Amino acid sequence: MKDKREIIREEMAMRGKILEILKEGAKTVPEVATALGRPTEEVMFWMMAMRKYGLIEETEEMTEDGYYKYRLKEGRK
Amino acid sequence: MKKYDVLIVGAGIAGMETALNLGDMGYKVLLVEREPSIGGKMILLSKVFPTLDCASCISTPKMAATANHPNIHLMTSSEVKEVSRKNGNFRARVFRRAVFVDPAKCTGCQECEFACTVAVPDEFNFGLVARRAAFIPFPQAVPKKAVIERAGTSPCSFACPTYIKAHGYISLARSGKFEEAFHLIMEDAPLVGSLGRACYAPCEGECTRGLLEGPLPIRRIKRFIAEYYYSRHPEPEYGPPEKRNGKRVAVVGSGPAGLSAAYFLARNGYEVTVFEAQAEPGGMLRYALPSYRLPRDVVSRDVKNITALGVEIKTNHRVESLKKLREEGYHAVFLAVGTWKARKMGIEGENLRGVVDSIDFLKRVSEGESFDLAGKTVLVVGGGNVAIDAARVARRLGASRVVVQYRRSEKEMPAFRWEVEEAEEEGVEFQYLKNPVRFIGEDGQLREVESIRMRLGEPDESGRRRPIPVEGSEERMRVDFVVLAIGLKPSTSPFQDEIELNKNGTVKVNPTTLQTSLPYVFAGGDAVLGPSTMVEAMGQGKRAAFFIDRFLRGEDLQEAEFEYKLPPAKKEEVLSRQLTHTRLNPVKKKLLPPEERIKDFREVELPMTQEEVLYSSARCLDCGICSECHQCILACPADAIDFSQKAQEFEVEAEAVVVSQGFKLFPAERKPRYGFGRFFNVINAMQMDRLLAPTRPYNTILRPSDGKVPENIAYVLCTGSRDRTVNNPICSQICCMYSIKQAQLLMGALPLADITVYYMDIRAFGKGYEEFFQQASDMGVQFIKGRVAKIEEKEDGNLLLHYEDIENGGVKKVAEHDLVVLSVGLLPNPEITRIFKDEKLELDEFYWVKQVEEDVSPARTSLEGVFVAGTAAGPKDIPDSILTAGAASAEVAAYIESKRRGR
Repeated sequence: MKDKREIIREEMAMRGKILEILKEGAKTVPEVATALGRPTEEVMFWMMAMRKYGLIEETEEMTEDGYYKYRLKEGRK
Repeated sequence: MKKYDVLIVGAGIAGMETALNLGDMGYKVLLVEREPSIGGKMILLSKVFPTLDCASCISTPKMAATANHPNIHLMTSSEVKEVSRKNGNFRARVFRRAVFVDPAKCTGCQECEFACTVAVPDEFNFGLVARRAAFIPFPQAVPKKAVIERAGTSPCSFACPTYIKAHGYISLARSGKFEEAFHLIMEDAPLVGSLGRACYAPCEGECTRGLLEGPLPIRRIKRFIAEYYYSRHPEPEYGPPEKRNGKRVAVVGSGPAGLSAAYFLARNGYEVTVFEAQAEPGGMLRYALPSYRLPRDVVSRDVKNITALGVEIKTNHRVESLKKLREEGYHAVFLAVGTWKARKMGIEGENLRGVVDSIDFLKRVSEGESFDLAGKTVLVVGGGNVAIDAARVARRLGASRVVVQYRRSEKEMPAFRWEVEEAEEEGVEFQYLKNPVRFIGEDGQLREVESIRMRLGEPDESGRRRPIPVEGSEERMRVDFVVLAIGLKPSTSPFQDEIELNKNGTVKVNPTTLQTSLPYVFAGGDAVLGPSTMVEAMGQGKRAAFFIDRFLRGEDLQEAEFEYKLPPAKKEEVLSRQLTHTRLNPVKKKLLPPEERIKDFREVELPMTQEEVLYSSARCLDCGICSECHQCILACPADAIDFSQKAQEFEVEAEAVVVSQGFKLFPAERKPRYGFGRFFNVINAMQMDRLLAPTRPYNTILRPSDGKVPENIAYVLCTGSRDRTVNNPICSQICCMYSIKQAQLLMGALPLADITVYYMDIRAFGKGYEEFFQQASDMGVQFIKGRVAKIEEKEDGNLLLHYEDIENGGVKKVAEHDLVVLSVGLLPNPEITRIFKDEKLELDEFYWVKQVEEDVSPARTSLEGVFVAGTAAGPKDIPDSILTAGAASAEVAAYIESKRRGR
């Protein structure tokens, strides 16, 4: 199992790619993971940190499968 | 030494409450907290049981009152290192860590956090999300001031002779911030392109990743950064500084040392003139380094970084008197004339036509002179990098055979191994343990060389084994051209009557300040070090500029501290931060094919792609944690970031001590059968409390594995408590109730979710606890009596719980859940005993601080004058913690008053 610290460290390198993917529109964590070709648990760390630091935000509605979608947030780059 | 009435160690709810009580009574209290914020664990909780009051709403006013109380002096990010007794009172050493932020200036705006380029696990969210190296612990932190986490200087940055923040630009590069990376390098060195091409990269030798699959290609990443920037900015973006100080400095020599000094002096407002004897600036970079390693246009663009500041470079201008420069109005001089004189072998035939020295040869080739070596045999004598350069240049000039003779073995050869390998690929032959004894010519023209075999004796003063000729082993070889690359000497002879020189011709300087025997003259680079590397020379130029500035401002040079660095981060500690390291192979260096290389002077090394740079920089282990990328400095609107801040130690006196250091959570990894740390959807209860708190790490309660809202959540009670297998046989006293609290909150937040609590027995002993339990049951929380034997993970992240259903005949069952919460127990924090010098603070049989008279004096410990409050003495809930704080305050007051009255 990949160490959590290692996954978290990768966030900085993955941010640009995730922002690029979300330019197409709001996506769930599994959808971004598929687009990136990376495991969902890793993408979860990256997207939640990006949300914490104001780069993305959740949409209001949850999907039928129980996921939130995330979109680009205006303001921070 | 500051005197207090009471020293309190630990500022959780019990420590704060004790401090407030005593402060209100008029006692002067020093409250020391290890974390950057007070509040302990309570401030991180969602609600308290059984009232379901908001934990923050209770804690925050207490925290504010503590921080603002006139009788409480609060020290965060601090630790009590030692407590001893003297004259009836306690003496304590308190250590305050450097946090690299001036708390008086910091407004808590978080801009540094947003700008920071290093992500680490957020311990205040128990690893569920990342925080930054620059951070404010949590939104309600008191004091709400940023701190920067540093574990030393990253070894790569520490190794750099000019202290380029290698870790900093790597962290910027991995974020795709290449322009910012360029600007960061420019803070320490102006010749970014040249370094990216030809630096010997001591940083890479120290890279911790070198202990895994191989170091990061730090130099090649720098090259990419320089090319990225230069392709977008053919000219520098800046001009001369607006503020000039009216003082003039002459720099003699435009090599890396001189250019570096000129750059830093000009940035400081000095009028700088560089005098260069050659036709173009750059020194050895332009004239000695072959262009297949360092293209000349790169040197020229680098030089613009200096001249853009208004530095004038006078070429074809040889300086031979320092005093004359003084007479011309220069207030100070930096002498960086390099090593342009070649050493001689002192053997027969050295003056024949066809025998040249390496520096002469390389310089003339750089100037465009065409040596006709086509089809000829060339001998290069020497084993350093210059010898290898000369040999490879000879191949490019058409020599059919190039032989390098070196008098020691390959092992002692000072040239870098990769340079030797590249030379070998290009067809250069190496003859080790061989040395010329004479050159033989006809009509003044070289024809042959006579060499002798050598053997190695004992080590000489350089530490290398001394080469000894083997008599009678002489042999001859026909050669057409010989390049002597046996060493270079400083070009300092014109100044020998003005400043003191060493025996080897280098300039005698104060090694710290680089000041010479003539006070207004400073010297550096190869003229001081002897033949060195580009980056060492640049480091000297930067150092000289620092001390010249102080000299010209009339400051004491000995008092000035140049480039304070934290000690290097320890590599073994860096590696031990992770349990596993994914293998990430380094990107191999790409070179032109050897047969292509020798056709001309085209650059041999091919650049990295952007994707390769991103991959390579993402391999960085963030050794020092903070990378020193300096984005926080740029982002901070209050100018509060201070990388020069140092740790401090204080000695204080107090009449009484209260230990209230709290507890540790049971690390659930110690129950491997439950999969914590292996299965992302197995979390501990503190993590669930964070998910439930208003300042939660996610937008709502989500599964860490994929962001799904959980529908079927299980609680496993007594994880790591009442469990002799983990040496913690006692009840945690709170895990039943906090689990029921969370279950109720989850029922409210996720009305459709099923909540199941697996328990041994519910201990609802406090006021209102039984009702609280019944209420949860009535809300639909399912309680199953039975120990969970193990947890397995399914492919979709769901979890299978194997348990014994005790109330239904003890049958073994398996249940599926999509999130499991381990209700972990509490462990003691016995490290507190170490601070007491010469006496022992006793612990009870379970390692909690011993209450020696629990029934009548619950705060008393085994040491007179030392009291305990909160969970330091054993597991308890918040109301009980506050009660013990009240008891401790009263007992401390009674003790002090009694002592003062001599009773």
